[in-house]
This record gives sequence, structure tokens and C-alpha cells, in this order.
Amino acid sequence: MPVPILKQGDKLIASLQSDLDDKDLMQLKDEIAEKVGRFKSRGVILDVSILDVLDSFATRTLRTIAETARLRGAETVIVGIQPDVAVAMVQLGLTLDGVLTALDFEEGMELLLATIEGSHHGGG
Amino acid sequence: MVAEETYVPIDRDGDIVSARQKARELATHVGFSGSDLTLIATAISEVARNIVVYADHGEIVLSAVQRAGQRGILVIARDEGPGIPDIERAMRDGFSTGRSLGLGLPGARRLMDEFEIVSEVGKGTTITMRKWTR
Amino acid sequence: MSNGPLLSDLERLQLNTHDIERRKAFVDFRPDDLSRIAAIKDLVVHNADRYGVTFFDHLAGIEEAAGLTRNRNLLEQAKRLKHEHLIAMVQGDYGREYMEQRVRLGVLYSRAGLDVRVFLGAFHVLMRAVGVDVMKRFAAAPADGFESFISLKKIGFLDIGLIVDVLIAERERTINVQQDAIRELSTPVLQLRERLLILPIIGVIDSMRAKQLTDGMLGSIRDKRARIVVMDITGVAAVDSKVANHLIQAVAAARLMGANVIVTGVSADVAQSLVALGVDLRSIRTMNDLQGGLEEAERMLGYKVVYADGASPAFGRA
Repeated sequence: MPVPILKQGDKLIASLQSDLDDKDLMQLKDEIAEKVGRFKSRGVILDVSILDVLDSFATRTLRTIAETARLRGAETVIVGIQPDVAVAMVQLGLTLDGVLTALDFEEGMELLLATIEGSHHGGG
Repeated sequence: MVAEETYVPIDRDGDIVSARQKARELATHVGFSGSDLTLIATAISEVARNIVVYADHGEIVLSAVQRAGQRGILVIARDEGPGIPDIERAMRDGFSTGRSLGLGLPGARRLMDEFEIVSEVGKGTTITMRKWTR
Repeated sequence: MSNGPLLSDLERLQLNTHDIERRKAFVDFRPDDLSRIAAIKDLVVHNADRYGVTFFDHLAGIEEAAGLTRNRNLLEQAKRLKHEHLIAMVQGDYGREYMEQRVRLGVLYSRAGLDVRVFLGAFHVLMRAVGVDVMKRFAAAPADGFESFISLKKIGFLDIGLIVDVLIAERERTINVQQDAIRELSTPVLQLRERLLILPIIGVIDSMRAKQLTDGMLGSIRDKRARIVVMDITGVAAVDSKVANHLIQAVAAARLMGANVIVTGVSADVAQSLVALGVDLRSIRTMNDLQGGLEEAERMLGYKVVYADGASPAFGRA
């Protein structure tokens, strides 16, 4: 089942549903890459709050989505990782190093705004 | 309570999701807490994925078990794939170095209470895991 | 009555066929007891109502049984179950269903807070009433009457054994629940200001407590929408590599939820010994004391700009 991706200004928002299989995740990766390029998006929010499991494949794919988006000029924030899921990921040794995370959609938007603004001013 | 066995054939990545769901159902029935449900489902996701990626085809058998008044879940993941040449290396815990784990096996072991692996090159791999309610 | 505790009691009491046979062996129950019980079956069934009244009237006169006798709902249920039990006691079928019936009554007694000793006394009073009737009926053949009564008493002791086991199991469960509550209470998470939590940890951290701490912290991060947690471990008894790993994992999990964790109270000694043990402390931000940690936290929260001066971001960078 494909994940719906909403466009909100210069941001893309995708809410992942539960029971996503590998193909769905790969499809999401391609679609976000395509849309970021087409709409010149500055930010992406991936909401994983429904997911009850984030295994190694899902984690790797999320990281890849963020990296691909960044290459095309958009920052990605993963939001909504649940406490149990976070604990399981850490025990499994999975990290989202280098990827921004936030508690929920609201926090994610604030973080995106701060990050995008920051990179505007940032650097020398 | 009779220990029912649930067989989940693992052929495609969609079956990984089925295995997780069936495990969750059984574990809920056994009486595991919410966070334990997530740990069990995650461990199963990893071993099921290994079957899909390395062995093409295999099965996961789930059952409720009991010992001295404690209830638990037994998970057997078997395949007739290529087998793991160096089990010790595959089970080496690279967690503290932060390196991502190739097969997710040490991770799965951390999530469960008991973990055994038997593997023979050319014959296949059988992983047996158990988790107990507190 | 919910199914949850009942099922777990049954499992814990191990009422499989083997266990049932052992319980019968404990009371020396034999095949010929069945016919002796059958001989007084109609007597017990006929007088079941009266025996029930005897049982509950006795309890009504005991202060300590108020939990049951003054709870109309539980009392009605107990009377009904007791009546069914008395009938079942002389039917001769003492398998799993029979045992489950006893367990159900035991759970009810436990819910009513019925003391084991009080229960035993009341049960004795009931059996005595039965015995009096049996001897009256068998006045012409007292030896037979006595044997029948003894056979019935074996089943009575089987019942007692089960109900006592249930009462004990339920009490253990209550103690465990209370212990969990105490553990939770002993580690409060304090909200200092918006987005900032303080988690002071005192005492020994074993893996069970570490899990509780982590779950509690993550739950608070979610509920209070915290961006920074200052975890103070000044009061932690011994910080070895195991404890350090628990902390590292807790910090990593918090980061996945968008919160930064500052660990304070790490003395130079502790830091040195951890590094010597090979623990990678780079993944967690440590400060010497709580004050320093709080200042750092406020500094972090005050930042809007993310990439200025290489300073740390206000948000969780996983």
C-alpha cells in the first residue's frame, strides 16, 4: 500500500502506516526523492508514530531517504518513534545517526523551521 | 492451555510482516506486556528477514510454552539456505562500537531471553528463541 | 471476574493431569473412595442448601470475614459457587474442570480478602455438619458411615489445598504489584521548565531498574514533550560498565524521540574508570555537577539557530 505524501508549502509530509512491507518502503524512498526534486522542497517530515516495529531494514531505509533528500536540498525529520520502538531499536544496535528526530509532527515542524532558517544563516 | 503451534512460511518480504503480526497475537495471548510485544516482534522481524535475504525460503514456528509456572513464547526460525560459515563471528556483539550488524543476530539475542543457533554450510540454519513473561 | 488473573493462577498452579494426580495422591485418594462417596451422594445433595447456610452463617459471625460477608455482590457469587461445589464434591468427577471451579472460588475469596485461617475454620464447620448427618444416616452401620465420611474428607482436603494455593498465589501477586509501584515512586521525573526534565537517580541500578528508569524517562519525554533531560547520577551507588551501558542505551532511545540527554554527576574518577573499561562515553554528554548540567540545558534550549559556531543544537540530533 503506497504511503500518501502531502505537500505543504516547501515541505513534504508522509505518514507511514503500519504493516508496510519492504516494497512499500522502497517505493516511498523513490517517491520522496522524486517529489523533493520536482517541488524543490526544503523539508521532509516522516511520521512513523503508527509503526510498532522499526527493524534494521526500515531504519536503513529511513536513513537513506534522509540522505537522498539532503542531496537534493531538503532536510528530513523523523517524528513519532514510540518509546517501546526506540528501546527495541537501541537494543538491536540500530541508530539514526545524522538524521534529525523529533517527538511528533509539531515538534518536527519547529525543528525543520529552525534547521532550514539556520542553514540559511549558517556557515561562514 | 495446550501449546498451539503457528507456522508462518517465509518466502517474500510480505511474510515478514505476517510473522510479526502472528507473533504479536500469540504473545498478547500469552500475556506479555506492551513493550515486550515490540521486542518480540522486532526480533522476529530480523530473523525472518534473514531468511528472505539469505535463504529465499524458510519458516517460522511460533508456540506458547511454559516452565515452572512461567509462561512464554517459543520462536523457531528455520531455513535450508546456505548456512552461516562463521557463527561466532556473526554472533559477535558489535553494539558498543556502533557498527551496524550484518545479520542482526546479536541484536535479536539481546531482545529475547534465550537464543540458540545451529547452522551448517550448505544445509541451512535453525534459530531457536524464547522469551518469558515476568 | 476478569480472565487474566484466573488464567495465570491456573498456569502457575500447574493444573495439568500430572499435577491433579499428584494432588489426589497427597490425600491418598483411591478408586474405592468413589463408591463410598457415592453412598452419601444423595444426602449431601439433598442438604446442600443447609450446609451452605452453615458455612456462611459461621463466617458472618467472624469479624475478619467482613470483606466477604459485607460485600453483597461477592457474597452472592460465593454462595452460588459454594452450592455448586458441594454438589460437585459428591459427583465423583475430580478432573480439570473440578479443579478450575475450586480455583475460581479461591480467586473470589482472595478478592474479598478472606484470611486463610478463617476459611479453614469455616470449612471445618461445614464438614462437621455433613459428618453429623452422615453418622445419623448410618446409625445402624457406623463403620460404613465413618468410611464414607473419611472418603469425602479426602476430597475436602483436595479442595482446601487448591484454595489455599490460590490465596497464597494471589497474595504473592499483590506483593509484586506493590513492589513495582514502590520502584516507580522511587524515581520521580521532575519538570523544571517547559521542555526540560530532571531525572535524579539514586541507589543501585540493576537491569530491571534500568529498564524501569528508561521506560519512565521515555514516557515522560512523550507526555511532557521534553527536549532535554538532565539525568543526574550523583546518587548512583556503583557505576560500572554495565550501568554505563544502560545509561548509554537510555540516552540513545531518548535521542530517537527527539530529546537530548545530559548526564550529570559523573565524577572525574568515574569517568576515568569507565574509559579504562572501554566504555565509549562520546555518545553521551556528561557534566560534572547538576548545576552545570542545568546551565548547559538552558543554554541549549535558548538556541534557535542550529549551525552557528558549531554549538550544540537545541533539538535532538539522533
